Amino acid sequence: MIRKLLCCLLLALLAGAAAAAELVVVVSARSPVTALRAEQVADIFLSEATRFPDGGEVVALDLPIGSALRDDFYLKVANRTPALMKAYWTKKIFTGRGQPPRELPNSQAVRKLVADNPTLIGYIDRSALDASVRPVLVVH
Amino acid sequence: MPKPHQTPVLFAVAGALLVPLAAHAGHTSGQDGTWTFGGFGTLSAVHSSEKQADYAANPLNPGEAGATRDWSYAVDSRLGAQLTYNDGGHWSAVLQVVAERHLTQSWTPKVEWANVQYQVSPELSLRVGRIALPLFLSGDYRKASYALTSVRTPVELYAALPISNSDGIDASYRWNAGAVKNTTQVLFGGTSVPLSDVTRVRAHKLTGISNTSTAGALTVRATAIHGKLETPLLQDLFSALRQFGPQGEALARRYEPDRKRATVLSIGASYDPGNWFAMGEIGRVNARSMLGDKTAGYVSAGYRLGGFTPYATFSKVVANTPNQVAGLDLSMLPPSYVPAGQRLNGELNGLLSMIAQQDSTSLGVRWDAASNAALKLQFDHVRPRNGTSGTLSNIQPGYRYGRSFGVFSASLDFVF
Repeated sequence: MIRKLLCCLLLALLAGAAAAAELVVVVSARSPVTALRAEQVADIFLSEATRFPDGGEVVALDLPIGSALRDDFYLKVANRTPALMKAYWTKKIFTGRGQPPRELPNSQAVRKLVADNPTLIGYIDRSALDASVRPVLVVH
Repeated sequence: MPKPHQTPVLFAVAGALLVPLAAHAGHTSGQDGTWTFGGFGTLSAVHSSEKQADYAANPLNPGEAGATRDWSYAVDSRLGAQLTYNDGGHWSAVLQVVAERHLTQSWTPKVEWANVQYQVSPELSLRVGRIALPLFLSGDYRKASYALTSVRTPVELYAALPISNSDGIDASYRWNAGAVKNTTQVLFGGTSVPLSDVTRVRAHKLTGISNTSTAGALTVRATAIHGKLETPLLQDLFSALRQFGPQGEALARRYEPDRKRATVLSIGASYDPGNWFAMGEIGRVNARSMLGDKTAGYVSAGYRLGGFTPYATFSKVVANTPNQVAGLDLSMLPPSYVPAGQRLNGELNGLLSMIAQQDSTSLGVRWDAASNAALKLQFDHVRPRNGTSGTLSNIQPGYRYGRSFGVFSASLDFVF
């Protein structure tokens, strides 16, 4: 019983740590973009904007549905819970007006793809950050 | 059968979708192209306390709650499937098929949309084929009820113009004005919807413009659509009226629904900062016939508490034209014509009393039970007004005008 409780406590702590992990929005180190505001990032990920503020075309990359980083990202950047995001994409998809961003399995995969292509933008766990990508927004 | 001039468009779209499908022979992704399959559905049960008429969400998809059945599954239940192809460049195509209850009593799946899109630039896209009409705030996606907070869009406004698509072309342009993002859409097309096995309503030369603006949590959409309606209904009544000289001719011309210009104007706004939402909409639908000239609107708000969203809506429709008219002046008729004149006046007024005047108050709760499913419970208190039967259909002989009634709905919406 006590072991079970401890186990639950540990899981809760881990989940809390994952949710509290710092997120960074990144573009390729070769991109001219240096900083974005949260609303600009939200517009790109909700496919409301298809260009960076400087005019260059942009394509967003996502993390898998159900991942803690993803839920945290949309809650903080777009003020939307997973259910509201699902409803949002239902509207877009079933009006033929867009598809959600392509999903990659984890932060490392996002970083790798973003690093190679200046038109891409993604969000990753801060711990996955390296010199191949440039943080343009830190999500608190 | 689609109208002859629409058939080639549908074939072209079907061809555009099927040729690459055959080439890829079941692969979900070609060299650059991507196939996406998805769908949506609703399973609902609706009970109405008005037993002398049926409650329906929409005149083209008649519900059976009330007179026909104690609990009706036909009011909101539907299943939709959508196949999208994107060639990885400028071209994409979408095919959406929806099965729901039609006026012809069947649940046969129908092609809701089938169009090919060419993305000229990130800002400008062109489409050809069967396209969603940009009507009202939620008109484009109302069938995917998962995207709505409530069980259905308010019947007072959305049932006033039940058609949901048009065969033709449209162009959509995105532009920014400061912090306000806009999408302006223009369209041209036509549509044809069966009213029975032998009668169809057709809309020709549908011309429309719609603009959606978003600024932060605020979205505003305004739409104007104009078209020519061809509704060959009740021709016996109108040719009989024409037998009564100039006054009969004037009445027939005023009220016959065939070959009439129809105009729809609407504006709606929604504010949704995340924890709560409020929205409101008003529109005018003028068919310049016995189908009426109506103004309808609603206000709705809800609060999100974890997975639960309680909401409330007040909705109203009024007729801008009388529901009762004097009709033929019987004193001008020879005595032997009076009974026939009286009968025609009665028939005409019977039709005019079906131009809805109604308001309703709705309370409901949405529960996001799973990541792709929502359960909704809703109660509506509906009040048909001014001696009309409101949005009710299948009026039974014992129906009493002016009586309010309650509607209870439970629905499960899902997407996949």
